[in-house]
Amino acid sequence: MAARVLQQCVRSLARPSLRLCPVSAALRAAVAPAVGVHRPVSFAADSRRTRWLGQSRISSVVVLCRQYGDLPPLTLETIKDRVMYVLKLYDKINPEKLQETSHFMKDLGLDSLDQVEIIMAMEDEFGFEIPDAEAEKLMSPEEIVQYIADKKDVYE
Amino acid sequence: MASAYLTHQQKVLRLYKKSLRHLESWCIFRDKYRFYACMLRARFDDNKNEKDMVKATMMLKAGEEEFWANQHPQPYIFPDSPGGTSYERYECYKVPEWVLDHWHPSEKAMYPDYFSKREQWKKLRLQSWDKEVAQLEAETSAGGVRTEALPPARKEGDLPPLWWQFVTRPRERPT
Repeated sequence: MAARVLQQCVRSLARPSLRLCPVSAALRAAVAPAVGVHRPVSFAADSRRTRWLGQSRISSVVVLCRQYGDLPPLTLETIKDRVMYVLKLYDKINPEKLQETSHFMKDLGLDSLDQVEIIMAMEDEFGFEIPDAEAEKLMSPEEIVQYIADKKDVYE
Repeated sequence: MASAYLTHQQKVLRLYKKSLRHLESWCIFRDKYRFYACMLRARFDDNKNEKDMVKATMMLKAGEEEFWANQHPQPYIFPDSPGGTSYERYECYKVPEWVLDHWHPSEKAMYPDYFSKREQWKKLRLQSWDKEVAQLEAETSAGGVRTEALPPARKEGDLPPLWWQFVTRPRERPT
């Protein structure tokens, strides 16, 4: 309910901004609160007029909604790009030979300890833990991408 | 995982991973962590070709004891993993799919395509249920179920057992 009252106040403030310059300054001064000295009133009216003129070019709709912070949404392409980027940074992998379907042990000649390190790098990159039971089965970048997409509800 | 027991390799890999994570909690600066991580990897690599399983098990036990002695009191736990800050936070919002059947018809009319497809899926589920149960009963050993792992579909054109639960599972992060 307070939001509705606030919205009405905002609308009443924003309404004069829809009018353009021909409106007389006297009207603006009348709208402005009655301050004692004459000059500050006119100055205030001027500043308010210029401010409203500036605002009249922009739409003055204020939507009161909560804004939470979050990461940008993941897509399959971004997941794949990030996974390949991290893998190319790993020094035991030859970046030319790396494909999406290349198996870590058979094609790239890596060790199981290397695979653990790769999975840990993926956990650090995406910010969530991959349990050991499922991590030991992920043996190619494609499987990693599918697993992350499964966990993060991407194109489910 | 095939059975409830871990192989020696799996135990070694788990020790390696958790020791690296605790090392990361101790050495917060990345270059220092990298240095000690490489030292730890060298230690693991020296003994990885041990063929004598007795000696390998003794080394694993010594490694676990060393890990226990040097573990971090407050290791970094990811938010979504057990013990983390956001573990099971959205569990209360994960509504089961049978709730959709209890919607009012006016609400269901807002999504006609989805609900018509849903009727087809439910028919498919009814048809495949007997075959799934038969497959599970046939594949369960005499002593009862050992693991939670479900077998895949064996025959062509058959659906894997208890697929409905998996397909209609709630999202990890319900909106």
